[in-house]
Amino acid sequence: MELISLIILVIFIVAGGVCIGGGVHFIPVGGAPAAMSTATGVGTGTAMLAAGAGLTGLITAASMTGQAWYLVALAGAVGAMLMMGITMLIANFVYIFGVGIVPASSKASIDPITKLDQDPYKTPGTEGHGVPTVCFVSGIIGALLGGAGGGLVYYAVDSFASASTVLSGVDATAAAGLAAIVSVGIFFINSVAASYNIGGTIEGFHDPKFKRIPKGILASAIMSLVAAIFVILMLGGI
Amino acid sequence: MAESNLLNQNNLLILGIVGGLIGIYLSGLSTIGGLISCLGGICAIVWGADAIRRVASYGLGTGVPSIGYMSLGIATVGSIAGLTAVLAFPALGGLAIAAPILGLIFTMIIGACMGLVAVKIIGMKIPIMVRCTVEIAGAASLSILAFSSAVAGGFAAADILNYVVAPGFIALFYIMNCMAIQHPYNACLGPNEEQTRTLKCAASTAFLAMTITGIIALSHAGVVPAILILIVGLCGWYVSFKAFLKASYEAAASVKWTGLWPKVEE
Repeated sequence: MELISLIILVIFIVAGGVCIGGGVHFIPVGGAPAAMSTATGVGTGTAMLAAGAGLTGLITAASMTGQAWYLVALAGAVGAMLMMGITMLIANFVYIFGVGIVPASSKASIDPITKLDQDPYKTPGTEGHGVPTVCFVSGIIGALLGGAGGGLVYYAVDSFASASTVLSGVDATAAAGLAAIVSVGIFFINSVAASYNIGGTIEGFHDPKFKRIPKGILASAIMSLVAAIFVILMLGGI
Repeated sequence: MAESNLLNQNNLLILGIVGGLIGIYLSGLSTIGGLISCLGGICAIVWGADAIRRVASYGLGTGVPSIGYMSLGIATVGSIAGLTAVLAFPALGGLAIAAPILGLIFTMIIGACMGLVAVKIIGMKIPIMVRCTVEIAGAASLSILAFSSAVAGGFAAADILNYVVAPGFIALFYIMNCMAIQHPYNACLGPNEEQTRTLKCAASTAFLAMTITGIIALSHAGVVPAILILIVGLCGWYVSFKAFLKASYEAAASVKWTGLWPKVEE
């Protein structure tokens, strides 16, 4: 493997990791309080939301194996956005028709997108509830970044593994399997690093916690670089 | 909570590393190799569950499962890198016998980087973050390698790529071992959480994972070794889960009789 393709591999993995880590900051993660409808967002942790959307993105990205890198990344983005949209929509159905609350943000008094008042609809003593429009849009942007990032990592590892001599004597599907599991691993490393950075819960790009994104991106970039070095050790080529 | 530990963390670390490595190295034996390998994986899972218990008692803010998923991510990258590095770099060819140790070391290096990033860049205020991330990732690596070797009948990189990675069993091991390592503390956390009860739960989840490994092992390892793993896994699960239930009832009864939480918290 030439030096230039190694550099491209590292750039793809780091760019993908940064997209994943940055994307997580957009996703409305509510955690345990949201599961009781006392905080805005989907009622589960970052790891679960990222797993749901990210793994769907990886499946759609893998369906584009062999295509150009931007097609793989786009396919990943579409899959992740669909899954995240469905998750937030169904969560809203449960919150609205099951729990009986109105989606309302606590971090913005007026929804930046619909310009609707939020404060009068917020139950006193809660941190908002449901998934209001601004959180929904933010979540879709986050899934776009996360899915595209996962797709980029998959593309990089898959094209590297297919060309590697390490896999010359083994089953042809091993390259795709290896690329899939390594990109899942890198996906989780970056999404949990981002999740540590936001301290568990965030509403979306209008949340004050969103200002922490530079640190999260730096953390993701460093961890992706470390992972990329070990991917090179795994598949050889220096 | 540290004062209520009956088992020392260093002893558990030694149990995990030594037990796990012995299991992986004996996985090539005929008939009982897979069984020994799976038992090594169980040592590693119990060690990992204890490390999760120590770090998550500080409150990660992101839920207990997150660190489990992350550690398994680190472990899959590191352990596969350790196995195939000897193939990828002819200069390392003489180290083929040390591949599992190399995998463990690689995983622990990535884990240390992650711990340092979490503490230095993100600014998490957990003093044992680095040590515990390294430990959980190491445990995850040994458990993945042990179960994979049991299925592939040895730790040769080509076998594991052919019989574990190519059919996608590695993804199952990823999620299954993550559940086995993170679930015990996630299930037991609370005011009267205690180490022995959590580790009994860890043993039961580990044996359950071993039972499933037995079913997977039917694909390549042969019928007798696979059935052996399956039966020992089921028996181990029955014994450990019964012990866990008994411990839970005992702890629950002390609440029921007095109506107050036992004085073990902080």
